Amino acid sequence: MTSTTKQPASSPRLSLIDFVTMAVTFFALGVTLQVLLIEAGTSSTRAFVASVVIFSATSEFAYLAVRNGGGSDWAAIVAGWVVATRFGILAVSLVPRLPKGLPLRVLAALNAFDPNVAMAVQQENPKAVEREFWRTTSAMMIGWFLGIAVGTLLGNVIGDTSRIGLDAVFPAALLAIIGNILRSRDGFVAGVAGGLICLGLLPIAPAGLPIILSVFGVGVALLVGRLVPSQTRLP
Amino acid sequence: MTILAVVMLTIGVWSQRLLGAFVVGPLLERRPTLTRAAGLIPAAVVMAVIVSLTITRGGDLVFDERIVGLVAAAFFVWRKAPFIVVVAVAAVTTSLLRVLL
Repeated sequence: MTSTTKQPASSPRLSLIDFVTMAVTFFALGVTLQVLLIEAGTSSTRAFVASVVIFSATSEFAYLAVRNGGGSDWAAIVAGWVVATRFGILAVSLVPRLPKGLPLRVLAALNAFDPNVAMAVQQENPKAVEREFWRTTSAMMIGWFLGIAVGTLLGNVIGDTSRIGLDAVFPAALLAIIGNILRSRDGFVAGVAGGLICLGLLPIAPAGLPIILSVFGVGVALLVGRLVPSQTRLP
Repeated sequence: MTILAVVMLTIGVWSQRLLGAFVVGPLLERRPTLTRAAGLIPAAVVMAVIVSLTITRGGDLVFDERIVGLVAAAFFVWRKAPFIVVVAVAAVTTSLLRVLL
């Protein structure tokens, strides 16, 4: 770090404690995901390979949610794609702020997750964006890969995951991930509408469809945004 | 999880990140409404996944301790608690209720 530019107080840096917290968080996420994948009948090897290559716990969970609900393979895959739009959107906000250079930009785009993009986009210049992005990414990846390794080993041992409340962990984790979007009025309306669409369709529609059709919650939010002037922000 | 699913999800996730960064991003630049809509998609669909994971089990609607765990977690999300706290609250609340009830 030979940068002579002063870091304004407004650009957060990843402290050692943040680094460890981030790693521990992704460790927990990785363990949970593997245990639940294996409990759902996936072999240990395939569960490990899946989490290494797919690189999106959210998509794997959307897939599982549909399959466990009796949906077809393709319905589950489409649900996994739909939730992965989040990563495309994260990449949209990250990549233009990075230094020029295609290979590193591609690599960064493929690693776009919520915490590292959130940390990166708050930096002042491209160099700082790149540095904080990769520092946060390395913390996440250390935790994630250790977590899926340990989770794969534990998957066959733990047995009944519901006793220790693991089945409640992923919905809660997802809620924390989209917490910031839900704080804006439009985000809140979109979330509530998406949730209600899913809730209404779950008893009647084939598994997978409720998640896919929940995307129309966005339309509801835009409509409400047009009818009611957007001044209000939630606490 | 089938092999087809592993392959298709990998293609889907990787391509959405790359398309977002290098195709959709530049296209959205001068279209504020589309940009706003795109930014809201995660709120709607991830919330649907949350609902599905919370109230279904093996193809049936099951209303159980998970709902309480999620509500407890939601309170901590609203209070901007660290991620790990939110997750721990959900797990502990749910498993405590199962032990106690």
